[in-house]
Amino acid sequence: MPTSTLISEKLQQRIVHDQLDVPMLPEVAGKVMRLTQDPDSESVDLARLIQSDQILAGKVMRAANSAAYSPNSSIVSLQQAITRLGMKLIAEIALSASISAEVFNTPGFESHITYRIKYSLATGLWAKEVARASRKNVEAAFLAGLMHDIGRPVAVQSVLQIARSMNVKIAKEDVLRIEDEYQQQIGLRVLEKWEMPSSVCHSLQYFHDYSTPHSAQVQTMIVVAGALITSHYMCEQEGDKPCLSLEELKSEAVFADLNLYPDQIDALLEKETAVNSAVEAMSA
Amino acid sequence: MSARHYDLIVIGSGPAGQKAAVQAAKTGKTVALVEKDRELGGSCVQRGTIPSKTLRENALRVKNMRMNASIANFELAEDLELATLINRLEEVLAAHDVYMRKQMQRNGVELIHGRAHFISDTELAITTVRGEYAILTTQFFVIATGSYPRTPDNVEVDHEHIFDSDSILSMMYLPKSLTVLGGGVIASEYASIFQALGVKVTMVDKYPQPLGFLDEDLTAKFVHAFEHMGGKWVGNCMLERAFWNGFDAVVTTCTDGREFKSDKLLCAAGRLADVGDLNIENAGLELNARGLIDVDDNLRTRVPNIFAAGDVVGPPSLASASMEQGRRASCNALDIQVGEMHSLIPSGIYSIPELSSVGLSEKQAREKYGEVIVGAASFEEIARGQISGIQDGMLKIVCDAAGMKVLGVMIVAEGATELIHIGQMALIAQADVDIFVESIFNFPTLAEAYRVAALHVIGQRSQKKDCY
Repeated sequence: MPTSTLISEKLQQRIVHDQLDVPMLPEVAGKVMRLTQDPDSESVDLARLIQSDQILAGKVMRAANSAAYSPNSSIVSLQQAITRLGMKLIAEIALSASISAEVFNTPGFESHITYRIKYSLATGLWAKEVARASRKNVEAAFLAGLMHDIGRPVAVQSVLQIARSMNVKIAKEDVLRIEDEYQQQIGLRVLEKWEMPSSVCHSLQYFHDYSTPHSAQVQTMIVVAGALITSHYMCEQEGDKPCLSLEELKSEAVFADLNLYPDQIDALLEKETAVNSAVEAMSA
Repeated sequence: MSARHYDLIVIGSGPAGQKAAVQAAKTGKTVALVEKDRELGGSCVQRGTIPSKTLRENALRVKNMRMNASIANFELAEDLELATLINRLEEVLAAHDVYMRKQMQRNGVELIHGRAHFISDTELAITTVRGEYAILTTQFFVIATGSYPRTPDNVEVDHEHIFDSDSILSMMYLPKSLTVLGGGVIASEYASIFQALGVKVTMVDKYPQPLGFLDEDLTAKFVHAFEHMGGKWVGNCMLERAFWNGFDAVVTTCTDGREFKSDKLLCAAGRLADVGDLNIENAGLELNARGLIDVDDNLRTRVPNIFAAGDVVGPPSLASASMEQGRRASCNALDIQVGEMHSLIPSGIYSIPELSSVGLSEKQAREKYGEVIVGAASFEEIARGQISGIQDGMLKIVCDAAGMKVLGVMIVAEGATELIHIGQMALIAQADVDIFVESIFNFPTLAEAYRVAALHVIGQRSQKKDCY
């Protein structure tokens, strides 16, 4: 039996027996999420929380000072950043900064993981814009978009772990193939462990089959649309093949299913510059 | 490109469009119903009447549980998702959509999903959501495209922090605080519903009282009930600007310097006719100064073969009236005799508490007739009101100067929108006010208030006679 098949089988067993090594949602990110959902929380609590993680605090400050968020002035303190950018936005920045390549142990695949995480971040931001254009839930769209691909880094990490434990080498294309095959199953396990809202889990569960009726159907369509737009633009930027052309993108069924007419899709895609600057700022 | 021909084309599938299409189809005509959204029903079903009433049902439950906290030890979860509070909405909407589609199919109405644009007064272009194009021709049109929320220039609606009445229910969590701009029906409904759910609501409007078309004593009861729940009414505020400050709050400023901050804001500054895509000028039509389509008593526009019904023609903008207008528009187009449309349409405001009126208000009656006799009953004095804990309820009967003929009825209390129909029947029957005293109602019920208010009128009537 080829090594890659053996690894796939072992990975499947780990998934079935709930033995995946799922990284903890960085503690600070979990607390940030809970804090921003607490109506009694104050910005000073959020500043204190982010400050407790130096690396995260640094990333938030970098993003807050970027051209996307503070074009005219320099932010010198976290409290000032929160006051200026708001708890919700700072929480989004903190959450996306927490889910970085460093969280995952994937030697040799760091740039791939960084790319996938950036892709998820862009999907989250595009999902927000799709939601706004469709007059649907803007708040939920970002989180669902950000998390829709979370199984990929964990899949790569698990495959490499299994290969190490078997003392075998695995080709890069095999790792990527297994990642593609198992990322959704693994992603659902991760979201479960991270106690994400059920709507976020549903958006991943039905990502490839959004027309199946489920309670978060519209949100799933929004995430799918966000991911498609991202794959068009990121593909252009990264030179991946095959790329989704603009015409192909616009004729994707999900836009019609969201009842977005051609002119509305054009208006949506005009947000490209704003979304790109936000992606750069948040993934800096 | 060959055009498809129909006897009548209805544009819009809300209450007016639906009834117009079914009525025309029932006479054996070929009918097309064009809808730009995927779902049928228009704003009424998808974004307005039905969703807000679903939320209201749960708000009432929450309010009642809070009132009985000693029994239930009730506390609302802090991070409650709004979707939880409209949990049955999807089922309600899906059931409605299935019902409507079946009704259209049964009657042979052809449903067309796409945006309509007039080419001329007999031709319509359709662009589908996938960009396909078709041309339809017809002898008659009924425009029933409804309305969309008006956004003043100084309010920056982003559907994330600042919402309009079509997007407010897309909020993920109940906010800690909410500013509601406006004092009309939609503003009053949402303000009281969110306040009942424990959101700190501030209602801001340019007029001194909300719901200015009702008598002041009724609106005073509404404001009292709203403030009793913890809400704040701010009248006489000329809005300078409402905006998300970019960091922690939506800021609302009045020209007199007053400023209010909240987590979210709902802009409920009226609605405009939704004819943006229609190119009505190609059919020889234009909007009037109020942004509506002018029609005559037969719902006919200035172009003889084009009729309009529902919100596009303006007040009363009630689903109940729109349905009847739609039906009549088709009948008039197809030259089917219909009786005179009853002007006696009750209005219902689904705030907490409900308000409802039929006929003339006291103010209108005094303007029209000079002297009138008004009888009132407070629900606190009614056994059922006491049992149900209704503290701000009132029923008012307005009679002519002789204290005989009923001119109007107004109610503020939970159940007002149902209770009003008793008064409506009396008005239609042109009954004397005595009918409420001579008839026996169930006991204990809120309907007893009719009897109390009628006795109040009769008492004044007797005193007046004694004076002579």
